[in-house]
Amino acid sequence: MMALQEEALPCHFGSNNELFGLYHAPAGVARKAVLLCPPLGQDLIRSHRVYRQLAETFAAEGTAALRFDYYGSGDSAGRSVDVSWTRCIADIIVAARELRARSGCPALIAFGARLGGSLAIAAAAAAHFAELIVWDPVLDGVAHVTRLDALQAALRLDPMRFVKPRSTQDAAGQWLGFAVSPHLRQQLVELNLQPPVTRTLLLDSLPPDAAHDWDLLVAAGASVKILNPPTIWDDLDRLEHTILSHELIRAVTGHLREIV
Amino acid sequence: MRENAFRFGRARHLVGVVGLPASATDNVGVIVLNAGMVHRIGPFRLNVEMTRRLNACGYPTLRFDLSTLGDSSASAELESRPQQIRADVADAMTLLGEKSGCKGFVLVGLCSGAENAHTAACTETRTAGAIFLDGYVYRTAGFMLRHYLPRLFSPKTWRGFLARHLRNNPQLADDAPDFRHEFPQRSAIRTDLIGMLDRGLKLSFIYSGGMSQYFNHRRQFRECFGRVATHPGLSLSFLEDTDHTYILDTDRDRLLDVIEDWLLHNFPVVATSISA
Repeated sequence: MMALQEEALPCHFGSNNELFGLYHAPAGVARKAVLLCPPLGQDLIRSHRVYRQLAETFAAEGTAALRFDYYGSGDSAGRSVDVSWTRCIADIIVAARELRARSGCPALIAFGARLGGSLAIAAAAAAHFAELIVWDPVLDGVAHVTRLDALQAALRLDPMRFVKPRSTQDAAGQWLGFAVSPHLRQQLVELNLQPPVTRTLLLDSLPPDAAHDWDLLVAAGASVKILNPPTIWDDLDRLEHTILSHELIRAVTGHLREIV
Repeated sequence: MRENAFRFGRARHLVGVVGLPASATDNVGVIVLNAGMVHRIGPFRLNVEMTRRLNACGYPTLRFDLSTLGDSSASAELESRPQQIRADVADAMTLLGEKSGCKGFVLVGLCSGAENAHTAACTETRTAGAIFLDGYVYRTAGFMLRHYLPRLFSPKTWRGFLARHLRNNPQLADDAPDFRHEFPQRSAIRTDLIGMLDRGLKLSFIYSGGMSQYFNHRRQFRECFGRVATHPGLSLSFLEDTDHTYILDTDRDRLLDVIEDWLLHNFPVVATSISA
């Protein structure tokens, strides 16, 4: 049953109000609460619409939701080059506290796409998540860095984007439009996620030719659901295309209805 | 710099972030519109970098989502899209005016954002200026000559053409959104520009190399719009090496330099003694 929902409320929270968020309150008392952990870089912009749709659907079904931006991303304070893995995890913990305070729900479900999923896994114990829903999470940091480096190298030569190829120097220190610090790069190279002890649903929409290496999560008891059609995350031709997935929204909301 | 997020508008349907300079000023406020479907942070966070830099210069700013874009909703009014845009921009000016005290506003828009800025600037009396990033322009005979003549005999061009042709991804063609639409008549845009300049608006047109299929030389603007191009209230910049959405740091910095210089020249910062 869809209830009349409140308007999403934009807000700032955390230390010095550095973090931007949008709280989606359900009509009446929240029965559950979901923290939506965004991905990083261009994935954040591409998945903004899906995150909004998810949060609105949750609120309409009586579940509170908080969307937010990490320090150095989106509308939060800080420059893009300031994004760091450890700060993102700290921000998730702060956002979880904010959501508990606003919703009155002590048990939180975390959702995250790509690196947002990886961050939700990494923060699960410290943020005391009761459940994780991760969508095509990045589990292999070295492979991810290699992929982003290759895309960045191709981007500066892309005749569809630039009239003349750009120099290596012009494109250095960035991934697909966002400045990246050596610190974040190293943190991703050294990414070593621990198997989550939290109940986890993995939504796999990677294309058939991608590495579907979910051993870390499957060994920890995660259930895996395949989504079709595949989501093309890493393709220069689609770099500025919005990601839309009705299948994802159906799968996540259907799963949430099953959680007591 | 201080930023605050708001839900605002005639139906409380709009979401935006107001940024205020450290001290109160009598400056114009700068309002940044959506670029295409990208939410208010802009392509690669361009709008965030722009508004914060302008706040540091002393300008109050608002980056916000127009009706149905980003985090904004529909207003539930039966209006055409141009009417919605004008009403949304009016709401945005009212909000930024309330928060900052400024009474005149400069609109900034990229691509469809430039078209929307044009739509609003035509009629909104509080508009003091506008910055059109890859705004309206039309191919001219000069464009055709400059575009095709050198290419006709260039092996590199043919190689590039073939590479693009072979790379053409049929699945991409199927699922790629198609936002093409008819441009208004060139004469109508020219009349609009004359009207804006006659009202005293300052206009800045900044074209990127990403527009190379439509714009390839500074003189094209004159070819396109005639003598209005030489009006002292209008300025033109061509950042030839850049792409349409300024994906590289160095290009965003160049663009922001141009915008900052233009604003400081046309709307000098005047600090007031009362702190906000």
